[in-house]
Amino acid sequence: MKRLFAVALGVLTAIGGFLDIGDIVTNAVVGSRFGWSLAWVVVLGVAGICVFAHMAGKVAAVSGRATFEVIRERLGPRMALANLAASFLINLLTLTAEVGGIALALELASSVHYLLWIPIAAFAVWLVIWRVGFDVMENVTGLVGLLLVGFAVALFLLGPDWGQLGQQALQQVPADESPATYWFYAVALFGAALTPYEVFFFSSGAVEEGWTVKDLAHSRLNVLVGFPLGGLLSLAIAGCAAVVLLPRGIQVSSLSQVLLPVAEAGGRLLLVAVILGVVAATFGAALETTLSAGYTLAQFFGWTWGKFRAPARAARFHVTMMACLVVGLGVLATGVDPVMVTEVSVVFSAAALPLTYLPILIVANDPDYMGRHVNGRWLNAAGQAYFGVILVVSVAAIPLLVATGVGR
Amino acid sequence: MSRRLPTPPIPAGGRLLDARLSLLDRQVLDVDGEPVGVVDDLELSDPQAGVLPDDAVAPVVRHLVHGPVVLDRITGGRHPRAHFERIEWAAVAEIGPALRLAVGSSRVPVGWLEDWLARNVVARIPGGRHVPR
Repeated sequence: MKRLFAVALGVLTAIGGFLDIGDIVTNAVVGSRFGWSLAWVVVLGVAGICVFAHMAGKVAAVSGRATFEVIRERLGPRMALANLAASFLINLLTLTAEVGGIALALELASSVHYLLWIPIAAFAVWLVIWRVGFDVMENVTGLVGLLLVGFAVALFLLGPDWGQLGQQALQQVPADESPATYWFYAVALFGAALTPYEVFFFSSGAVEEGWTVKDLAHSRLNVLVGFPLGGLLSLAIAGCAAVVLLPRGIQVSSLSQVLLPVAEAGGRLLLVAVILGVVAATFGAALETTLSAGYTLAQFFGWTWGKFRAPARAARFHVTMMACLVVGLGVLATGVDPVMVTEVSVVFSAAALPLTYLPILIVANDPDYMGRHVNGRWLNAAGQAYFGVILVVSVAAIPLLVATGVGR
Repeated sequence: MSRRLPTPPIPAGGRLLDARLSLLDRQVLDVDGEPVGVVDDLELSDPQAGVLPDDAVAPVVRHLVHGPVVLDRITGGRHPRAHFERIEWAAVAEIGPALRLAVGSSRVPVGWLEDWLARNVVARIPGGRHVPR
């Protein structure tokens, strides 16, 4: 019974923790402009994160080495430093977007301007990292994040024409959008589903929780069941926007517009639940990105790290995270639109993906690290196919960003 | 490096390792599994200068070096040897995905920054000495 409970808890937190501000905003923007015609990208991206997270988790569980240790060891100091610089800056951008997301959601809940919420949100993130254990942190944000199921409830309550949504999913570029913007949002959605910090966090989390080979089955279940169900929530967000916003020509440019269909379908109660879900999801992702900032730097330089140590036993790790939160705070204090930061961050995430993906793919096949747990034939086929996809997406990301002026 | 290197002798009862592949840039853990650093460089016994005769004595690894010395491998240049943070080769107990030492981390030199930050910043904030729960 206890075991069953642990398994269920793992899957549920994987679902509730799957979405972050990038997924929420990008799916709503895409739904309001393209309907479900980019749903195939969500499917592709979710399958990709399953392959990627599974490999990174396996490497961490079997060898005890987290992602950036592997990157440093495989690429050498020079290439790894270039990789670190790119990954760290993009992670910082994502961290900024997540803290902004918490503040925006709290603004909707309280009518207090989001800029006033930002320091409170950042302080709360730091406090949780400083004082709350890893398991509690993951379980609470994951379970409350499950309230995002409200998007799926809203979609059903809206009673959409499923045939029309299905048709959108099969059709390609809508007539009034240019192919460049269509492909730009394809890249953005892919980057939102497959963000590098998720892998830094997943593999370092495996070390934090002391995974061993015995935990592999459990972790595989979390990934293979939890992530796809989380992906369904992405589709529900896009679906809500497609049903309510697309016909009225409303293009999402703020979080309140993302939640408009929820309010219309389910009234105040559902709206409150979903806002709470957004706060939990963005708060959880803010914790994960902040920790990832510390993980990447500490693992590159071989510092002590982890929440299972007292902060004084991992001083450089904790000071790094404090500094990152302060920088994020500073960026948001300029008044830059957090939704805009989010849209840019997912595209850069897509561009940087091969940097983290390739070393993991190589090490997952290295018997020195993995012993008899090297990738099997099917996982390897999937892993290599995805490397091809990731490479294409990465090359296309920045040119599309420039060509479309961030999808305008 | 166009000249092909001679095939290395197979050590009797030992393991043949490529130092670049299996030592450099690996994590170093102390006897309890605590990270103490990364192998940023290796300090070898001085090889003879010039073209080595065939019967020259092979250099041996004396120390693992870690800390800011990694910058030399990134940007070039050379740190003064006095600043090296060294771990004696004899302290290495196991070579795998990480190098495990036979000694505790208290016997390994760690840069001043960790100590300084721990004492002057982190430990002064309430809760800094407690494990998060």
